[in-house]
Amino acid sequence: MPNEFHDQLITLLPRLRVQALALTRNRAAAEDLVQDAVANALAAQDSFTPGTNFAAWMHRILRNRFISTLRKQRDTTDIEDLPAGAFAVGATHEDRLVLKELGRAVNKLPVDQREALFMVVLQGMSYEDVAAATGCAVGTAKSRVFRARRQLQAWLMGEEKPARTPETTRTDNRLLDESRAEA
Amino acid sequence: MDKDQQKPNLPEPPPGPQPEAPDAFDLWLHSSLHKLYDGVAREPIPPELLALIASDRSRGQR
Repeated sequence: MPNEFHDQLITLLPRLRVQALALTRNRAAAEDLVQDAVANALAAQDSFTPGTNFAAWMHRILRNRFISTLRKQRDTTDIEDLPAGAFAVGATHEDRLVLKELGRAVNKLPVDQREALFMVVLQGMSYEDVAAATGCAVGTAKSRVFRARRQLQAWLMGEEKPARTPETTRTDNRLLDESRAEA
Repeated sequence: MDKDQQKPNLPEPPPGPQPEAPDAFDLWLHSSLHKLYDGVAREPIPPELLALIASDRSRGQR
């Protein structure tokens, strides 16, 4: 029934906005990505089987839209936003400093690790759902989350310094390569 | 020293991969990520996005 599809889509929008931010690291780009992904989903709604995992299906569309945008972009978007939570009024000065540091470190993660980390921690998705949404094996999904956690720990504990942009650019390119291999 | 050497007589864990027990950093990370990003999820949905869905819904109810 169309209404159920639209209702599920509206309910998922807040989570899609967070996930889009995981992919783009930029608020404006995230909003554009969600808008485009929703348009794609509406156009493809007949391909969704009611009763199956709508969140995984929609996250897959969001991800594919992001990859499609990467292909068209010649320049990597260098503007990285910190989420508003890093500037929370109620937090102590030290807490805000630590949260900002975490926000910057998260933005430095390879996109596939950041994406998987957000899905598990913020979206509450299972590893199976993450695997379905990102087109990888369950073991790969677990590995990405594990590596993301350990990398953040290493950076925040001062065990190593975050890599500069070229590392994340290489990962974005790997995302493109993986999507080509799937096609 | 003896306390360190004494190990409780626990049953063997089942074979296969064990679920990861969250350590202190993981617990802090989970909490902090929510502090950072939950606000994004709570922000009002842009009206144009809702209009896009509503328009498609009304087209479907022909």
